[in-house]
Amino acid sequence: MKKFFKLLALTLVAVMALASLAACGGSSSLSDPAVGADGKVTLVIGGIGPLTGPYANYGLSVKNGCQIAVDEINAAGGVNGIMLKLQFEDSQGDPEEAVNAYGKLIDDGMRVSLGGVLSGETASIVAAAKKDGILLLTPSGSALNAIAGNDNAFRVCFNDPQQGTISANFIADNQLATKVAVFYQSDIDYSNGLYETFKTQAATRNLEIVTTQTFTKDSATDFSTQINAIKASGADLVFIPIYADEAAVFLSQAKANGLNNVTFFGCDGIDGILTKGVTNEDVEGMMMLTPFAADSPEADVQKFVSAYTTAHGSAPDQFAADGYDAIYIIAAAMKQAGFSGEAGKVDVANFQKRLVEAMTKIEVDGVTGNMTWTADGETVKNAMALVYRDGVAVAYSSDDEK
Amino acid sequence: MTEFIQTLVSGLSLGSIYALIALGYTMVYGIAKMLNFAHGDIIMVGAYSVISTVALSTNIPGIVAVVVSIVVCAVLGVTIEFLAYRPLRKAPSLSVLITAIGVSYLLQNLALLIFGSQQKSFHLDFFDAIKPIYIGDVLINGITLITLVVTILIMIALTIFINGTRMGKAMRAVSEDKEAAELMGISVNKTITVTFAIGSILAAVASVFYGGAYKYIKPTTGSMPGIKAFTAAVFGGIGSIPGAMLGGVLLGVIEQFAKAYISTLWSDAIVFLVLVIVLVVKPTGLLGKKISEKV
Repeated sequence: MKKFFKLLALTLVAVMALASLAACGGSSSLSDPAVGADGKVTLVIGGIGPLTGPYANYGLSVKNGCQIAVDEINAAGGVNGIMLKLQFEDSQGDPEEAVNAYGKLIDDGMRVSLGGVLSGETASIVAAAKKDGILLLTPSGSALNAIAGNDNAFRVCFNDPQQGTISANFIADNQLATKVAVFYQSDIDYSNGLYETFKTQAATRNLEIVTTQTFTKDSATDFSTQINAIKASGADLVFIPIYADEAAVFLSQAKANGLNNVTFFGCDGIDGILTKGVTNEDVEGMMMLTPFAADSPEADVQKFVSAYTTAHGSAPDQFAADGYDAIYIIAAAMKQAGFSGEAGKVDVANFQKRLVEAMTKIEVDGVTGNMTWTADGETVKNAMALVYRDGVAVAYSSDDEK
Repeated sequence: MTEFIQTLVSGLSLGSIYALIALGYTMVYGIAKMLNFAHGDIIMVGAYSVISTVALSTNIPGIVAVVVSIVVCAVLGVTIEFLAYRPLRKAPSLSVLITAIGVSYLLQNLALLIFGSQQKSFHLDFFDAIKPIYIGDVLINGITLITLVVTILIMIALTIFINGTRMGKAMRAVSEDKEAAELMGISVNKTITVTFAIGSILAAVASVFYGGAYKYIKPTTGSMPGIKAFTAAVFGGIGSIPGAMLGGVLLGVIEQFAKAYISTLWSDAIVFLVLVIVLVVKPTGLLGKKISEKV
């Protein structure tokens, strides 16, 4: 009898192993968006991001930006009659939570994924999205690996290495400094990625990096030694490819420790710093590389800014703009692919294949600039810089400096 | 040379905060013979009390917030002792230690629930009034000087209190032998309550200087300085009040020099390496007394 059970157990194990192999091998491609009972097609766009926790500002900005675009498009009758529905899940910034959220979104009928708001979240679901064959367009997942290995994955923002290179070019082109200090967080990919490409490009543009100071998550309270070293280095500009929380601590301590007469220059990570309890004085004169400026006179930007300000009481940051553009990019790709949701002539066949093919053909003039996409999912667009004056980030122009 | 002296100043600044926290640790350990691992989190509660008081209205002077914080911490410390530690007075010390860790997590999570995980800016009006001093190119923040002076004053006051007052005498008696002290008519419970109140008041004072120096707080703010200050107390000789002061200052200076001249990544490793070396050479810490085990 004992022998029988042993055999049974072994058989069961073998069957289960085979079954799991079979599950891996099969491609579980998604069905096309279905026609509803009212004869209309609704496309569910799923987003994942931190809506609570320390990174909540990024997730909420993206979600709010997306929602405004969805509402605008639906109010105008949808995309060729296809209505959009945004569903956003909270990940608290945790890549593992993002995987759960992705599964839930697929179960709820998602047919276009906005990936994750943060790079880590996007990277944790990019393989699953490839398996499902779904279009993934992350508004703000900027790390290289966030969309790697998936031909259906694209992004709205610059990738990290691009930002480092563009920052060095911007500093050199505008002659902001010749001696540069770098202050970055050595235990996160974002910061490391930007630092590496900045260093390479700085060398070719004759920017001298006079000191490189680092910190880690566990040593992010006391920056006095790093500030002293930067002060002693004689740098004119401090490049800070870090996140807003740490930047807020760093800037207020820099002020208290007498690090004056230098320009601080950050990238998209410091966006939203004004929500972190800094004083206007702490951030005065700080520059930020971004493709989006809320004070731009362009009509589409002003329309977005006023809609956002009315709905949420504050001007949108770059993350909100990335989210807003993401929805319009999806709409542009849907039009390019020729889908239709009009009653009687519904056409959403081969949805994912046609949508992904359209991505590399479209050109979108969004609030974060004029964008096209390469086959590996990267965006091509221009960058500009903002400068903080009296607590407001305004577009930098070379005339108003010095 | 400027950088060297500037690093020394940073070290003194950090070290005096460690010393202030370590005084609270060592005081409770010296008398109640228990490691209050929640001490760091009482600092966090103190800091949140300050910013919550200041946030009530624009015209509340900072000093009022400090007094509120001291009262909140003292009450909290005494309450924790009463609810969590007193029932375990006769239990093995390991149970008390684990309870203390539990209290620490409880406080952190309560703060997370009430205040959220977002960091909050810490701002007190009277720190603005103190302008930094320049000696040559070396900048000394007003807050650094005040922290150092206050820490030294508190150390002296505590030493006088413990050696010169009736309550201090009772504390020493409880420290040496609880049962004998009880037989001599000393209320052990009352003595330990007062010890916790004083320890928590020190935590509140530390929170004010910590927030003033580092500008931001969050629910986990207390844990790392708490561990460092515990290290400082062991380094200086746990139970010894001047030892806590010396250990705290040395630890801060070592940490900042390691950051400035070796690597920011290695600074913590170096700090703990120094601790290990000191304990191997002198197991009771720098100023610790050799205690013979009673049989």
